[in-house]
Amino acid sequence: MMESKMVGEGVKFERIRRITGYLVGTLDRFNDAKYAEVNDRVKHSIGTGNGEFEEV
Amino acid sequence: MIETIIKRDGRAVPFSIDKIANAIFQAAKATGGNDYEEALALSQKVVDYIESTGNTRPTVEEIQDAVEKILIESGHARTAKKFILYRSERSRVREMNTRLMKIYEGLTFKDAKENDIKRENANIDGDTSMGTMLKYGSEGAKQFNELYVLKPEHSKAHAEGDIHIHDLDFLTLTTTCCQIDINKLFKGGFSTGHGFLREPNDISSYAALAAIAIQSNQNDQHGGQSIPAFDTFLAPGVKKTYRRFYVSNLSKGLELLCGFEDAFEASKNLCLEVEGTYGLTPVFANDNDYQAKEADLLINKYKLPEANVRKAQSFAVKKAVKETDKQTYQAMEAFVHNLNTMHSRAGAQVPFSSITLGDDPSPEARLVCKNFLLATDAGLGNGETAIFPVSIFRVKEGVNYNPADPNYDLFKLAMKVSAKRLFPNFCFADATFNAPGYDVNDYNSKVAYMGCRTRVKANVYDPTRQVTCGRGNLSFTSINLPRIAIKAHGNTDIFFEELDRKIDLVFDQLYDRFLIQGRRRVYNYPFLMGQGLWLDSDKLKPDDEVMEVLKHGTLTVGFIGLAEALKALIGSHHGETQEARNLGLEIVGHMRSRCDQKSQEEGMNYTLIATPAEGLSGRFVRMDRERYGVIPGVTDRAYYTNSFHVPVYFPISAFEKIKIEGPYHNLTNAGHISYIEMDGNPLDNLDAFESVIRCMKDNNMGYASINHPVDRDPVCGYTGIIGDVCPRCGRHDGEAISEEVLMKIKGYSTSVCSCDENPLEEADKVAHPVDIVEI
Repeated sequence: MMESKMVGEGVKFERIRRITGYLVGTLDRFNDAKYAEVNDRVKHSIGTGNGEFEEV
Repeated sequence: MIETIIKRDGRAVPFSIDKIANAIFQAAKATGGNDYEEALALSQKVVDYIESTGNTRPTVEEIQDAVEKILIESGHARTAKKFILYRSERSRVREMNTRLMKIYEGLTFKDAKENDIKRENANIDGDTSMGTMLKYGSEGAKQFNELYVLKPEHSKAHAEGDIHIHDLDFLTLTTTCCQIDINKLFKGGFSTGHGFLREPNDISSYAALAAIAIQSNQNDQHGGQSIPAFDTFLAPGVKKTYRRFYVSNLSKGLELLCGFEDAFEASKNLCLEVEGTYGLTPVFANDNDYQAKEADLLINKYKLPEANVRKAQSFAVKKAVKETDKQTYQAMEAFVHNLNTMHSRAGAQVPFSSITLGDDPSPEARLVCKNFLLATDAGLGNGETAIFPVSIFRVKEGVNYNPADPNYDLFKLAMKVSAKRLFPNFCFADATFNAPGYDVNDYNSKVAYMGCRTRVKANVYDPTRQVTCGRGNLSFTSINLPRIAIKAHGNTDIFFEELDRKIDLVFDQLYDRFLIQGRRRVYNYPFLMGQGLWLDSDKLKPDDEVMEVLKHGTLTVGFIGLAEALKALIGSHHGETQEARNLGLEIVGHMRSRCDQKSQEEGMNYTLIATPAEGLSGRFVRMDRERYGVIPGVTDRAYYTNSFHVPVYFPISAFEKIKIEGPYHNLTNAGHISYIEMDGNPLDNLDAFESVIRCMKDNNMGYASINHPVDRDPVCGYTGIIGDVCPRCGRHDGEAISEEVLMKIKGYSTSVCSCDENPLEEADKVAHPVDIVEI
């Protein structure tokens, strides 16, 4: 049995995000402001899924 | 006695009184003066004054201070004013030059990860040679335009962050974007400037030339390139491909069953005979009389046995459908690959491409749409999510929205693909502002969206030409809403007054820029105008100015940070209170009505956009924080909230957010988009995904999309949500993993791994998926 080679050193996960309407394949390319914005994004609850609104 | 002076760079140079005299004379001339002798006498006074202070080696600044003093003291107030202006202008130029060199220094010696300018646009790799070269050019052009081309008041407003002139580097060069009619372009062939391309003859060449059209035009404009009815435009390619496959398969059937010699020629001639006699051609849906007429000829004229003829015909249909489907898939796959790999935009970027599709019920267009979606679903070579083109599925009641609609299956597929790949986005042709004039059979009547959100439809300049194709945005400039609000100190009347002044300023600046763009000639836009892509440009000669035809485009006012503006004005944003919701709509509604009014006055298309703001997201807030300090909810983050969006950090339900943002779509006629951030993997909950999309439509949105995390581990190929650890292979970000473990995960045993093939790549390949949706 030959010794197993190690692979993937330094290979980063790709994190695809929408930036202003288009996609970007890696957060490394985001400018500082957009990077901060992406980190701040919160999820929007879907609720019942029947289009019912909470009273606003 | 002054013999030398000290220049700004520290060098000592011989003193000459004439230089002072000349500076005074020039300043006096600018106010109508004409007396050099007096200027000389005044400069002697300057020298006397400096010497009286005991200074024998004055600096340039000291001399200029003395000139100002003497001019004022000796009653030359107007000349003094001119001199001071001249002096400040010169020092502004010097500062700018220093600033530019500082920027160049950063570009040259810093990596993108340490240099924000290199990351201004996320689709340019600032670390590559061409990426850096592009930035040198762009930054230099911006400074030049700011200094020498813009009117001083526009330049000042931009530099100080009251407004932002987008794509300032291209100010003197070109316009933003275009919705390309490739149907018209292909007719009779076209030229890219380096060679002539014949009209394409099958789906592969249609798709290849569509990519070439985008790439060629991308180098004539700085914004996005869009194909507003991709399925409709490529359908003729499917038609031609099917016909070819049908004829070749019929020939095989006839050769085998009927012993035809040279069956291919015979089939071709047969097809031509039916076409010539009856005007019928073999079609993908096989829903015309072509086969009946063909059978009639084969049986009665060529005396072939009926059973064999029927058999050959049904063989030909079956094979041709399958082969056409497969070829269309491959064409779509190649199109997507091409648009993600060819760095044809200034050598550093793939073109900013978008395509709209989904509401053409013809069988050929449906095949294009289906296969484009499947190619998007499959991803690139290793299963990566394709970044381009931005694909937009056009939702339309009666065509694809409800289960009984002919393209409902494609709408379902589009949602499934979007739940995996973030694209397509969805545009809504039924929105009250998109619906007028919609005709399912006329692609020019259908609204399309470009790239991040641009929309061009109405045409005040020529109301008879409210068409989608051949038009686009000319330029846009955004207003810093939060600053106006901060300065208004809670007084909305003051806010609106100042807003009006800024709108006037932007109108003026847009028009100035239009005059520059319009004075350029057809030869400055060799593809866009030279090949007749832009509406009416086919009526111009190469040396003609493009001023008149450009009026089909839009001059656009944009804005950023409605949420922060509301917060500064009344203490809450539109996610929080009804009061803010009302005021928000009043503000944006006011901006829109100003644009409409201006359009009517000028007979041009002044429109309002919800600015995309990538580079701008941090620029205004940085300046405002410096000026006004940290104001909670206003300047306390690194970015201003995009356009009319509810702030990304604000917890709110999807449906509530849609309800609040919906009305702004109607107001922003130059473009808009809304997002919902969905938790988890939406593929596991497609019903919820669909309910969000339907809710967007119900709330009269024009263009929207659902965001969800799409992560991928390039090592094991896992695509989905990845936290700190890849759920498939268990490695951390950047960590190494043993190949043996990897093989096991991927279902390989090391013993079957031949050295020639890379099992990692093999495992990512997906089975040819044309059968996911049967059409």
